[in-house]
Amino acid sequence: MVINTRYSARTFHGLEEAAEICLKCGVCCVIEGYGCPAQYDGQFTPRHTYVYDCLGHDDPTANPNIWQCVSCHKCEEMCPYEVSPIAFIEAMKVWALEEGHAPDSIIGEIEQVVNTGYAFPLTANTERQRQQLGLEPIRANEDLRSLAEGTGLLELLGRYRR
Amino acid sequence: MRYSFFRGCFIPVRLPHIEILAKKLLPELGVELSPVEGFTCCPEPIGFTVNHPLTGLAVSARNLSLAEEQGHDIITLCNGCTYTLKQANETLKSDLELRNKVNKLLSETGHQYKGTVEVRHFAEVLVETVGLDKVKKKAETPLEGLKVASHTGCHLLSPPEVMGFDDPQVPVKLDLMMEAIGATALDYSHKTQCCGWTLSNYGDRNASYTLLGDKLRAMRSAGADSVNVICPQCLNQFDTGQMMAGRALKLGFKLPALFYLQYLALAMGYSLDEVGYKRHRVKDPGFEEKLGRILA
Repeated sequence: MVINTRYSARTFHGLEEAAEICLKCGVCCVIEGYGCPAQYDGQFTPRHTYVYDCLGHDDPTANPNIWQCVSCHKCEEMCPYEVSPIAFIEAMKVWALEEGHAPDSIIGEIEQVVNTGYAFPLTANTERQRQQLGLEPIRANEDLRSLAEGTGLLELLGRYRR
Repeated sequence: MRYSFFRGCFIPVRLPHIEILAKKLLPELGVELSPVEGFTCCPEPIGFTVNHPLTGLAVSARNLSLAEEQGHDIITLCNGCTYTLKQANETLKSDLELRNKVNKLLSETGHQYKGTVEVRHFAEVLVETVGLDKVKKKAETPLEGLKVASHTGCHLLSPPEVMGFDDPQVPVKLDLMMEAIGATALDYSHKTQCCGWTLSNYGDRNASYTLLGDKLRAMRSAGADSVNVICPQCLNQFDTGQMMAGRALKLGFKLPALFYLQYLALAMGYSLDEVGYKRHRVKDPGFEEKLGRILA
């Protein structure tokens, strides 16, 4: 596997060494019925798998395909050489978020959690349905804003909105 | 046995009929649920925690600390919540430096993580703590003859060293759970394939339909009357997702998907109406008729 230089220069738990032994066998993405879900996208083939696309990209964090990874761990479970593509792709997402490349679906959900404590929108329809079933209303929780402020996430979200 | 009840986001917001069933059925099996004021999103693993791990960990630590204050282990209804909270608990228990960092952040909210509780999915509690013998005794109208294809879901299986529920490549626990209530559990190709919900939500929707179509066809070929899931996102994908995929792929058949607690309720004497089947988008007269004969 040819790992992009800028990317392999980052250190996390010695996984760069693991990636260097990748044989490019493709097993992580091409097993029928037990394989990478993102490989189902028509742009990937057995010769150019989803994992090759992410790990061999010239500008890894700007590659929109990294957001297709569902963190199912199939790739690391199938790999005969204990390379862990999921760990690389998840690390790319962290850098991509910092660098301003995260898509709206991700930013929207993060804001939703930080502002209400719930990952899914609390709509009038939700309340009506809960009421019909005799369940108590859902109350938004604002505690998470202070946590997100402490970790720098609020400031990062602010940059996206500017 | 008493647990702090972590109902998550997706169930209270989108699938309140499952929340009701959990509150009614679990106590009947000796699983008492303590509500916790102030639980928030776990937070959701793929959209949130993966992308900003420190905030994800802090939010999880806050949730875990609320259960610690109550003095009970956490019970969840969702693979995603279990995946997030189990991994956070493991990390915070083993990495003291990170725990101190997170506790500094938490002090603003008046809570501290101590590492004194465990996180359990309700399926894990049924299989390992309640015991399937007890579940079987409760199933007074066993679902005899109903052929069910179970889907465990990725995030309760992997990473197995943390999740510890079942073999990620050969999962059998859900089949045992279905057999305990009298149904016939089916093996099928693509059994361990992802449902595609996450791909549909953050990635390529059409790819997720193709994937789901393969999975549904495999279930159908094995002779399934319906699908069994234990995760709200998987339920949404097999229900609303199936409706969309069915149109896009012209599938030509429908496989109703139910949450395990719905099957359990049926086996305990509830009707299809009482388990909230009407709220589902994928309904099939063949399934309804067969279930009607079984329950009659």
